[in-house]
Amino acid sequence: MTDLAALSISAIREGLQSRQFSCVEVTKASLDKASRLAPLNCFIELSPESALKQAEQVDTLIKAGKQAPLLGVPVGIKDVICTKGTRTTAGSKILHNFIPPYDATVVKKLKTAGTVSIGKLNMDEFAMGSSNENSAYGPVKNPWNPEYVPGGSSGGSAAAVAAGICPITLGTDTGGSIRQPASFCGIVGLKPTYGRVSRYGVIAYASSLDQVGGFARNVRDCALVTQAICGIDPNDATSADQPVPNFEASLGKSIKGLRIGIPKEYFVAGLDPHIKASLEAALKTIEKLGAIPVEVTLPHTELAVSVYYILAPAEASSNLARFDGIRYGHRAAGQMDLKTLYAKSRSEGFGKEVQRRILVGTYVLSSGYYDAFYLKAQKVRSLIVKDFQDAFQNQCDVIAAPTTPAAPFKIGQKLSDPLQMYLNDIFTIPVNLAGLPGMSIPCGFTPDGLPIGLQLIGKPWDEATLFQVASAYEGETDWHTKQPALAY
Amino acid sequence: MISEDDVKKLANLARLELEPSFTPVITSHINSILEYVQRLDQVDTSGVTPMSHVHGATNVLREDVAHTPGTNPEPTPLGDPTIPQQEMLPAEGLLQNVPDHSGRFIRVPLIVE
Repeated sequence: MTDLAALSISAIREGLQSRQFSCVEVTKASLDKASRLAPLNCFIELSPESALKQAEQVDTLIKAGKQAPLLGVPVGIKDVICTKGTRTTAGSKILHNFIPPYDATVVKKLKTAGTVSIGKLNMDEFAMGSSNENSAYGPVKNPWNPEYVPGGSSGGSAAAVAAGICPITLGTDTGGSIRQPASFCGIVGLKPTYGRVSRYGVIAYASSLDQVGGFARNVRDCALVTQAICGIDPNDATSADQPVPNFEASLGKSIKGLRIGIPKEYFVAGLDPHIKASLEAALKTIEKLGAIPVEVTLPHTELAVSVYYILAPAEASSNLARFDGIRYGHRAAGQMDLKTLYAKSRSEGFGKEVQRRILVGTYVLSSGYYDAFYLKAQKVRSLIVKDFQDAFQNQCDVIAAPTTPAAPFKIGQKLSDPLQMYLNDIFTIPVNLAGLPGMSIPCGFTPDGLPIGLQLIGKPWDEATLFQVASAYEGETDWHTKQPALAY
Repeated sequence: MISEDDVKKLANLARLELEPSFTPVITSHINSILEYVQRLDQVDTSGVTPMSHVHGATNVLREDVAHTPGTNPEPTPLGDPTIPQQEMLPAEGLLQNVPDHSGRFIRVPLIVE
């Protein structure tokens, strides 16, 4: 029997149009599989009632002859994205009871595109983490081996797609939180250009870096979900008035003559030898397809983690000041003065990593340290942006690099040393700092059977070229067809 | 290097109450982070403009228009895809999230004696 939950978007569309199955059946299959795979802990909450109601509406439309690219496709939404009437926790205890009175713009867009949301996906608390171990709702497990982390912070979003629970999910990426879990789970994930997708209704972590994007098991499905969420939004002043091209038109296009920049700073000592070998093989494949590899230099790469761990905590300490136990979220019990109420509510509600980042952010913004840390980091950020501008101006059309320096690690392995955890994002962070689009696509496995990702980085607003290269590479390889042998 | 006392002061500024057993641990974590990021000191940034917006956007303005609560249509499958400027949210939707309220008023500890 066909596993309806594991179908691609085009297969779902074909089956719905030819009445082989209904949207209610697809939705039930996704919900059932999510329940069966509950030990992976992908979801914080499933929404069977609203999902089946939506599915019935879709079935009525299909019977009336309606068609649309995403009509009837089950999706999961990262729990940092507000869903009207459905609890949204951001992976935190402080929002354990928060029911948004409105939908995020991306949620509205997916609803009008005809998708069916089956639930809210687990994540590192407030999107702070690279392993999904910082969730107040327990760690997510990697579908390829449940002893390993799925990556983070969008760990639930990546694991649900890799496990074949639904074809697409939404995540967010502030320092690699889409690309790193996509890499660890062997799927496709795209962080669009900063400003490409509205952040309205997305609980903020670091507002100058946060961006919403999609996960999928193949490049076409990723293009379809990206298409549905892009565009300017009057409710987000940082969303950009840029034309959104038809991303499907880039699929299957030749990459002959395209210049692929290979940044030498990403192939240094410390890069896992298996990842290095997979990347070299992937680059050979891309070259065989007619693209021209060129060595480029991004000299400030090594400083990106430092810049990030000043700027992101600074923005977080400010963004998270709103959680005070007064208007929404957790409030400490008992009679006390206001200041104590703030401190108790916040300390009971926030996990340790969140507290750590709030304190670092408070420190680097405090008078006397502001110039040395915050201002200095903003200057070096300008240098990192310029590195990419120089590379794209004269030397290359797109950059190819590893997504992560190391393979997925075991749950618990890096918990005691936050800095080691942070260094895992060394290749993804520069892309956020420069506001560029970045994608991870599967390009191999370690000898332990854990996935490896190839990262593609584009010019601002040029997601189209990423889809073009990813689709050409996918056409020559079969990594995207591999499925984990699920332990449950 | 920052001390445990410095961290306690920071926690007070950030309205956090650290678990006593966590204070030394978090102090050592913060110190290792601060030590790591100090490599930025070696970079010559004279004449470099600090980043303010990555795509160079400046002030983004729009008309300030008041909306009536509850007038925006609910998104439906294949319905109107225009994203309207956000409606005013109905008070009931907001109040259901308030931990302690009396009618339409949020209850807080006594602030002024």
